[in-house]
Amino acid sequence: MIRRPGTVIAALGAAAALLLSGCSATASGPTDDGPVSGGDLVFARATGVTSLNTTTVHNNVSIFTAEQLMETLFTVSDDGKDIEPWLATGYEISDDELTYTVTLRDDVEFSNGQKLTAEDVKFSIDQDTKTADTGWGYINEAIKEVRVVDDLTVEFELKYVSSPFLAVLTMFSNQIVPKGYAGMSVDEFYENPIGTGPFVLDEWKKGQYFKVVRNENYWQKDKPYLDSVQWNVVADVNTRKLQLQGGQIDVDVQPDWSSFDSLNETPGIVAKAFDSTLSWNIAFNQEREPFDDVHVRRAIAYAVDRQAIVDAVLFGNGTPANSLIAPGTPYYDENADGPSFDLEKAKAELAKSEYPDGFSTTLLISSGNTEKSSTAQIIQAALKKIGITVEITPLGPTTAHDAVLAMDYDMTLSGWTMDIPDPDQWTTFAVDPAGGSNSDNTGYNNPEAIAINTKAKEESDPEKRAELYSELQRITGKDAFLAYLYYSPYGFAFSESVKGFHVTPLGNYHLEDVYISE
Amino acid sequence: MSTPTGILAEYRAQRAVSKPASRTIKPWYQNMPLVAGAIVVGVLVLIAVLAPVIAPYDPIAQNLQETLQSPSSEHWLGTDKFGRDVFSRLIWGARVDLRVGFIAVIIPFTFGTIIGGLAGYFGGWFDIIVMRIVDVFFAFPFFVMIIALVFIFGAGESSIYLAIAIVSWVAYAKIVRGEVIVAKEQDYVVGAQLGGMSHMRILFRHIGPNVLSQAIIYAMSDIVMDIMAIVALGYLGLGIAPPVAEWGSMILEGQEFITTHWMQATVPGLIVVVTSLGVSWLGDGLSDLLNPDRRK
Amino acid sequence: MLHRLTFIPSRLLQAVPVVFGVTLIVFFMAHLLPGDPAQAILGDKATPDAVSALRTQMGLDKPIWAQYFLFLAHLAQGDLGMSFTYQRPVTEIVLQAIPVTMSLVVFALTLTLVISIPLAAIAATAPDKPRDFAVRTFTLIGQGMPQFWVGIMLILLLAVRARIFPVGGFGETILDHVYYLFLPALTLAISLSPTAIRSLRTSTISVLGSDYVSTARSKGASGVPLFRQHVLRNAAIPTVSVIGVHLGYLVGGSIVIEKVFAIPGLGSLMLDAIYARDFPTIQAVTLFVGIFVTFVGILTDVIYTLMDPRVNLAAKGRA
Repeated sequence: MIRRPGTVIAALGAAAALLLSGCSATASGPTDDGPVSGGDLVFARATGVTSLNTTTVHNNVSIFTAEQLMETLFTVSDDGKDIEPWLATGYEISDDELTYTVTLRDDVEFSNGQKLTAEDVKFSIDQDTKTADTGWGYINEAIKEVRVVDDLTVEFELKYVSSPFLAVLTMFSNQIVPKGYAGMSVDEFYENPIGTGPFVLDEWKKGQYFKVVRNENYWQKDKPYLDSVQWNVVADVNTRKLQLQGGQIDVDVQPDWSSFDSLNETPGIVAKAFDSTLSWNIAFNQEREPFDDVHVRRAIAYAVDRQAIVDAVLFGNGTPANSLIAPGTPYYDENADGPSFDLEKAKAELAKSEYPDGFSTTLLISSGNTEKSSTAQIIQAALKKIGITVEITPLGPTTAHDAVLAMDYDMTLSGWTMDIPDPDQWTTFAVDPAGGSNSDNTGYNNPEAIAINTKAKEESDPEKRAELYSELQRITGKDAFLAYLYYSPYGFAFSESVKGFHVTPLGNYHLEDVYISE
Repeated sequence: MSTPTGILAEYRAQRAVSKPASRTIKPWYQNMPLVAGAIVVGVLVLIAVLAPVIAPYDPIAQNLQETLQSPSSEHWLGTDKFGRDVFSRLIWGARVDLRVGFIAVIIPFTFGTIIGGLAGYFGGWFDIIVMRIVDVFFAFPFFVMIIALVFIFGAGESSIYLAIAIVSWVAYAKIVRGEVIVAKEQDYVVGAQLGGMSHMRILFRHIGPNVLSQAIIYAMSDIVMDIMAIVALGYLGLGIAPPVAEWGSMILEGQEFITTHWMQATVPGLIVVVTSLGVSWLGDGLSDLLNPDRRK
Repeated sequence: MLHRLTFIPSRLLQAVPVVFGVTLIVFFMAHLLPGDPAQAILGDKATPDAVSALRTQMGLDKPIWAQYFLFLAHLAQGDLGMSFTYQRPVTEIVLQAIPVTMSLVVFALTLTLVISIPLAAIAATAPDKPRDFAVRTFTLIGQGMPQFWVGIMLILLLAVRARIFPVGGFGETILDHVYYLFLPALTLAISLSPTAIRSLRTSTISVLGSDYVSTARSKGASGVPLFRQHVLRNAAIPTVSVIGVHLGYLVGGSIVIEKVFAIPGLGSLMLDAIYARDFPTIQAVTLFVGIFVTFVGILTDVIYTLMDPRVNLAAKGRA
């Protein structure tokens, strides 16, 4: 088993998914004679689904679950870098690059037996666009109009040339639902959605479990293999681990990195780190003193030993971060030279600031997460060395999120995973105050960075885009509006009998390919 | 582990079957629980006071190159996930847990004793109101109330004192009230009253010393309970904020490694058991010393 | 026998002010909290107008006593507000969790008796002898063990090492529940037993010394039959009150234990609500527990009276 993130593991994962062989890590496992139908898969993860309305819901747990019920026109390849047709069969781009014509598969039915048509596509995309203020709608910003050409053809007209457009159609918020929500209100619909996905909702006990059963009308013949999938909410990481060892569950989502090796050595269990686009940063509230001072931010960015965090918190399962963009994302520049650990530089930067003797501040984290509280404690100890006293304030996940949205914090730990295979989603969110989040809720506002980001979005030549994104990575590093900490893979531990389970760098998984051997 | 209500019920049951004095008071050095308790508590207090001297390492200094080490001659109990010396953290933890445990009883002890004394002595409407309030507080299990209050006041040491004070005074009030009701019927009190002595003097001079012993004995159980509360709060992440070394949060942090480094969660728990045992012995011993007729 | 039950109405009447006190405390807890509930419900992006409209709708602009009566009026209809986290009525969520916690509590109580009665008998039949001392030491140690730590140790020994029991969860069928709840119930029983043993031991010693046991002995009764027929019933009386009092304690203890064993009961509900600052849920759990304990107190008194011919609560009221 290779547990270091990198292209190797992604390639392995992709191969595994193609061969549907699961790439079992230990030789002693059950022999695999190819996919078998039947069986129930049980996940355990720390939190539960809060909403299935993918146009507004922001947490990954809900998103990855909703993806089993509803699907998009295009999807991301297993290595996270390419875009593949899904409910669509293909597309054509006009010469001015402003019109995309998408054709649909003719064999797709919703779970209620209704046939998928272009009308449904127009309705779904339009509904998402309407949530620009409350949800993910801003992602559709480039769309001027969606037109129905015939039953199986849709035309997208754009306001401006937008390279990330196809990637936008892979976004979960653009999942296709029946026109008019099949006669229901939005809220009613998303309590029990009708989609084209491999599974349909069976039972949803909020805060306890979420259970889906196979969609008998699924368009991929013979799939899904599983009869049902259930996600249990088990907040305690130890309990999840021990439940997996005891055979009560099949998949442990996010086991502790500390027990990752020992889990992998447990007979019958595979612990796998999937390559990701997950990065963790310290976010500074620039609307507050002293974080409006670039020297303070740089001092902090230099003061933290990232390799030590990777070793102590991720037990080596990660890499120190050097850029705004994570390695699993296109246009990541490995030479982007974000601040790295250098105590002398940290002291020098602080001396240049208005607070040469340090200050006291707070670090907001969400409670009940070992990885975050450990990271926070290491940051606390590191900053003490340059005279900055940090008080760690743990808040419940919801409250912490609300406080960050309200800019009611000093520093916080902020994480990001890409939702589409294009850096634009994140860079616009992060550096453009108008990008939907007040620059990742930091208040960062550098006109130069904003201009480069806009230019990169509208550039269609990949080489020129790469140059622009490199420049953006350089500037943001220098501004230290975030202190990049580490890139972390997605850790999963699962029973050896679970085959075909693969997680893309965007964090989603195709459970229709999964089966249980023996 | 115990609760105010539990201790009270037990106390009631014991009183109901208490026999007249059949033994003479033993000299203190023959009082085994007292001696053993005093030694255990004394040693722990000494460790807490001398922590800066005897702890081999800084309890919060991280050494990320030496994390999760097994016990060795350098680190007697190994290191935790931040490379901090577990043995040093245990020693410094004694400071926090003992300090909070002992300080936390002061306010409820004082307040509860005064209120209970007054209610028992004067009776009437004051007594009725106080006892109804006591009933209301007893309706909430100790932990439910402590957790809810610490949540409201916000995590931290002063919140813990406040929460414990609000919850614990009622037990003292109930005990002392009962004792005062019995004591005020005694001849010497009635005599003093007839002799025109003021209420305050009677309460402080004659009744006080007699009823206080019960409150002190109860305080020992109360200290054990408070330590349990602090440790539980630490375990739930609602106690004293990291990186301060505290036994409850050490158990919490150790639980992460229960399958690989079982000692990390086990040892701090054992220290809590030893501490409680010491304080309980002390309580038993004091009880023997202060009212030998009531035991057993 | 029946006439002794006449105290029940007056006992219930006594509970009225207590229940009111409980509601009062729970109500004021909400007002001690920093922040505006209307703002909390609407979120930070709400306009001041929307917040003030909701404040009016929730009655937050009324004087505090009026708000309390409003709270009582809602309570009488079983309305305790909406959970911030789940956006569902709190009452519904709490009702879902109650059976789980109650089964844990009843299970724990059963195990407590299974542990305590024999140990108390062993100690009481030989006061101040080594075995008595051993039992007493056990009770002292038991009292000094943090409950959650006992749980962790049981997990370590019986679930991780020996793999006899599951490490946590609740299961789906009734049989599952019994199996899953065994370790948590045992944990609670271990921490409750010391108190039960001590009180049983004290009362057994007293019963053994009483006249009618001597009489029974002189008539040739001995050993287990003597113990069962004559001693246990009388010795159990004070224990009933101890256990009654401790039901509340078990509910409280289950808060921490449910976290250790990941059981979806009131405790997990309350702790999750605390981490998420979901105040209506915290309020509802606290209120339920307070009222529950009050009524268990009454029930205990009733059973106590029925079992013990000497007690006449009708005349004396609650001791």
